[in-house]
Amino acid sequence: METVNKLPKRRSRFHSSEARVAYICLIPAFFGLVFLTYLPLLGVLGISLTNWTGLKPPEFIGIENYIKLFTTDPYIKDSIITTIYFAVLSVIGSMIYSLFIAMMLNRKIPARSFFRAVFYIPYVLPAVAIYVGWSWLYEGNFGFFNYLLSEIGLNKILFIADSSFVVPSLSLISVWLAGNLIVIFLAGLQNVPNVYHEAAEMDGANSWQRFLHITLPCMTPIIFYNLLMSLIANLQVVTPALALTNGGPGNSTRFLTYLMYDQAFVNYKLGYACATTLIIFAILAGFTLVLFKTSNRWIYNEGGEDK
Amino acid sequence: MKTGKKLGVGLIAAALAMSAIGCANNGGNGGNTASPESNATNTPADTKTEKVKITYSMWGSAAEGSTTQAVADKFNASQDRIEVEVQAIPWENYMTKLNTLATAGQLPDTGMLQEGGVIQWSSEGMLNDVSAMYEGSDSKPLDSLAYKHQGNTVAYAAANEILLLYYNKDMFDKANVPYPPAALDQAWTWDEFVATSKKLTIDKNGKHPDEDGFDSQSIVQYGASIENLSWQLEAWTLSNGGGFYSEDGTEVRIGEDASVEAIQRVADLYLKDHVAPLSVGQTDDGIQRTIIAGTVAMATNGQWNIGTSLNTAKEEGLKYGVAVLPYLKDKVTLNTGGANVVFSQSKHPEEAMEWLKWYTSEENNWALISSGIWMPTLDKWYTDETFTRKWVENPNFPPYEEYKSAVVDYAQSDAARPAAWFYTNYTTDFNTLLGSVLGDVWTGKTTAKEAISKNLDALKAAHAGNK
Repeated sequence: METVNKLPKRRSRFHSSEARVAYICLIPAFFGLVFLTYLPLLGVLGISLTNWTGLKPPEFIGIENYIKLFTTDPYIKDSIITTIYFAVLSVIGSMIYSLFIAMMLNRKIPARSFFRAVFYIPYVLPAVAIYVGWSWLYEGNFGFFNYLLSEIGLNKILFIADSSFVVPSLSLISVWLAGNLIVIFLAGLQNVPNVYHEAAEMDGANSWQRFLHITLPCMTPIIFYNLLMSLIANLQVVTPALALTNGGPGNSTRFLTYLMYDQAFVNYKLGYACATTLIIFAILAGFTLVLFKTSNRWIYNEGGEDK
Repeated sequence: MKTGKKLGVGLIAAALAMSAIGCANNGGNGGNTASPESNATNTPADTKTEKVKITYSMWGSAAEGSTTQAVADKFNASQDRIEVEVQAIPWENYMTKLNTLATAGQLPDTGMLQEGGVIQWSSEGMLNDVSAMYEGSDSKPLDSLAYKHQGNTVAYAAANEILLLYYNKDMFDKANVPYPPAALDQAWTWDEFVATSKKLTIDKNGKHPDEDGFDSQSIVQYGASIENLSWQLEAWTLSNGGGFYSEDGTEVRIGEDASVEAIQRVADLYLKDHVAPLSVGQTDDGIQRTIIAGTVAMATNGQWNIGTSLNTAKEEGLKYGVAVLPYLKDKVTLNTGGANVVFSQSKHPEEAMEWLKWYTSEENNWALISSGIWMPTLDKWYTDETFTRKWVENPNFPPYEEYKSAVVDYAQSDAARPAAWFYTNYTTDFNTLLGSVLGDVWTGKTTAKEAISKNLDALKAAHAGNK
C-alpha cells in the first residue's frame, strides 16, 4: 500500500521533467524574493532595535526606538493621521473618478481610443515633472488657479501653502494620476455579460438601476482589486511631499514614508527610521487585513458563496 | 503605484547598508594589513618611490571629479611625497555614502562634508583637529569660517557665503525710490525696509498697501521677500537680540521674546504689511521665485545665487543689485560654507592637511569663485585690494564698488556671524522641526509665540539630539 502510494507522489513532485523545469525557472525569482525582500525585512527588524547612525557600529538598545516613537517623537502622530487622511481621500476619489471615466470610455463614443489614451497619459508621465507642473497651477501668489479665482472676483486659496488645503490638493493630483485604475476598470466592464443588461432592459430597468444592480455587483472583484492596490500605493505616498511640499506647511504633508526618509537619509538615524518603517508596515498590513476580512460580505461571486 | 516602490527602495537600501557592514569590515581589515602605506611606514624606504597615497572625496558628477583630479594632478606633480586621488560622489548620495564608508572603516583621508554634519561627525570622534593647518601662514581663513567643537577647530569651510539683500533695479527706477544701501553703516532699519517695500508693492489698480482701496488679494508686484528657510531665520533672531542658541551652542534661545518677535516680524511682511508674497519654506529656490521671476523687488538669500542663477538672468536682461540686510536691533548676516575635513580614520592626517591647504588656496578653485558661486575663505582676498579686484572685477559680478561694499566688506565686518552649524550639533534636526512648527505661522493660522512655546520642549529635545 505504502509503496504504491508513495511512488507516483514522489514522481509527480520531483521526477516529472515539467516540475523540474518549473522549479529551475523559479530559482531566480526565489532568490530575488529572499535576498531583496525577506532578508531585508528581517534586517529592518534587526536594525530597528539598534541606535545605528551609520557612523559607529550599531548598539543594541531593545525597543527604545519604539518607545521614543510613541512617546516623545514630535512627528509620528501627525504623520499617521495625515497619511491615512490622504490615503482615504485619494482612494475614494480615484475609485469614483476612474470607475466613472471607465464607464464613459466603455460607451460607443467618437474617438474612443484617443480618449482612452488621454486619460491614461498622466499615469505614464514622469512623477517629478507632474508635480512641478501642478505646483505652478497651485502656487499661492501668482499660480494659475489663483489667477482664475481672482478673474472671477474670488479670494485667493493658498492650496499647497495652507495646511488645511494641502492634503486635498495633493489628493486631487493623485486622483488625476489614476489612469491605471481606469484601464483595469475598463477591462472589467468589458467582462460584464451583456445578456444581463439586455434582460434588465426588457424588464424596463433604467440605466441607473442597471448600473446599481448589474454593473456594480459584477464589478465587485475588480473594485476590490483596485481598492487594495490603490490603498497600498496611497498609504506609501512620498513623491508629492518630496517634490512639492517638503512635508509642510507644518506637519501637514509629513507622510509616514517621507518621515522615514527624513529620519534615515537626512538625519541619519537609521535604527529609528527602521522602527518607523515597521510601523508603516503594520499599518499597511492592518488595512489590507481589514479589506480581505470584509471582502466576503460585499464581493459578488458568480459561482455562489464559496470561494 | 510609483510611490509604492519607494518603501521597497528604502528597505533594500537598509539591507544593502546592513550587508555593507559585514563585507566592508573584512575588506577593511584585509586592506590594512596589505596596504603599501603601512609597509612604507615600517620600512624607512626611499620616499621618492613610495609616495603617500591619500584620497579626497567631494560631491559632484564624474566630470566635476575629473576636473578636480586634474587640479590634484598638479599638486601630485609639484612635490614627491603625496599622491592625491579624488573620489567624486553625487551630491544626493554624498552623506549616505560617507556614512556607509565610515561604518566600513573605509573613509577617504579627507573630503568635503555638508554643513549640518560637521559637528555631529566630530562629536562621534570621526574628525581630526585641523587647528594646526594654517600655523605660520601669511593668510588664514576668516575667523567666522572655522567649525569649532569643544574649543577645537575641526574643519574650515571650503568656501565662504553670506546672506545678502538682492534687488531689482528696474523696479526701483520705475517707482523712483532710492536703491537699498550697499554700505553697512547706512543699513536700513526694519521700519525703513518695510516703508520702502510698501512703495514697491502694487495691486492691479496701481495702489500701494498704505493707500485706501488697496486690494491685498490682487497684488501684481511685491516689495520684499525674506527667505524663511529655518537656518536663514537665525539671522533675524540674532538681529533682534535673540537667537536660536546661546553663543556656545549649549542653550536653546528660540523661546525668548526677542527671537519669537523677530520671526513674527518676518511673517507679518505677508500677513500685516502686505508687502511680501506668501512663502511657507517648502522649497529652496527663493531667488528664482522672486527676483528672477520678476514678481518681487527685494529678496534676501545667499551670495551663491550670483553664480548659480542670477548670472544667467543678468544675461537675459535682469538688472539686479546687491545690498546689506536691514536690521532689527543689531546688524547681522550669517556666514556659511560646506566644510573640508580630515577624517580621524586617516593614517596620514599631516599629508591630508597639506593637500587641503594647497587645494583650498583660491587659485585652485578659481572656476567656482570667478563665476560667483563661492567666495574665497582666506582673509587676504578681503583685506588686500589687489586680491579683491582680481576676484570681483569680472563681468560675472555686480559693479565693483557695490559688491565690494555689500559683500566683501560685509563678510569681514562684525555683522557676519557663523551659522549655527559651525559650533553646535543637531542643527538639521532642529531646523527641520522648527520649519514644521512654523508652517502655520506664515499663513497666519497661529502666531510665532504660540507655535514656538507649544513646541519649545520638542525643539530643545531636537537640539539635544534625542527627539
